[in-house]
Amino acid sequence: MAREQVLVVPGRYKEIKRICEFIAAGAADAGFDANTIFHLELCCDEASTNIIEHAYGDEGVGDIAISYAVEDDGFTIVLRDTGQAFDPGDVPPPPAISGTAMPADELADQMRIGGLGLHFIRNLMDEVTYTADRRHGNRLVMVKKLHKDGDP
Amino acid sequence: MSVWQEKLPQSNTWLIGISGRLDQSLTPKLEETLNALLDNGHVALVVDLTHATYINSGGLRCLVSAWRKAKAGDGTLTLCGLNNRLQEIFAMVGFDKVFTILDDCATARGQARQGVRS
Repeated sequence: MAREQVLVVPGRYKEIKRICEFIAAGAADAGFDANTIFHLELCCDEASTNIIEHAYGDEGVGDIAISYAVEDDGFTIVLRDTGQAFDPGDVPPPPAISGTAMPADELADQMRIGGLGLHFIRNLMDEVTYTADRRHGNRLVMVKKLHKDGDP
Repeated sequence: MSVWQEKLPQSNTWLIGISGRLDQSLTPKLEETLNALLDNGHVALVVDLTHATYINSGGLRCLVSAWRKAKAGDGTLTLCGLNNRLQEIFAMVGFDKVFTILDDCATARGQARQGVRS
């Protein structure tokens, strides 16, 4: 079983940088390249922002616990909070955007509806699961595979 | 980490530069700077991202909001100097099709001087 590293911070926007630095250091130790570390930071940033905005509804309402574990084939990040359940799966993906002929105005309109952060998480992580229960709070698990090339 | 602004010579264009991570700590300052210019009728804007090392969805929303306001005032908001990581993020959400993005900020400065509307 991989050793888990844990950081608990107050649910405030200014603390998100600490979360990013914590994950970046762990991802660097795990052997990810700088570009992937950037992606992992972005996903943790967006997930933490969602916790403050949607689960807690404001800053300073509760804590965010973030942990990571390095295993043979992947880097598992877990974010926990005790706010309202906020299932990312309930948020519809943004409109199809690649190769779209949609006018820029319309595209910007639709993208404003939300889900930008979740769009990054869905695109940049290999696995994303969310669970919520009243006793243990909300748990978002994001996995990035360590060696995608050559994997089946 | 900073946001700065300058009026480009021989033009009505303002250039806003960002240095550092465009995240929760810097985006409010960028938003304030862009809104102050737009509210004063300066709708020809160039945002220099040469020294921006990071951007999240909040930073993107700030830029889209300013782009909308500039456009509503018959103006423009052009981006320049994005590194590969930022370009990838813009493309992932289709914003590379929303904004005019120039590789080189010197080109943006030259276009402003010549009065080219992008």
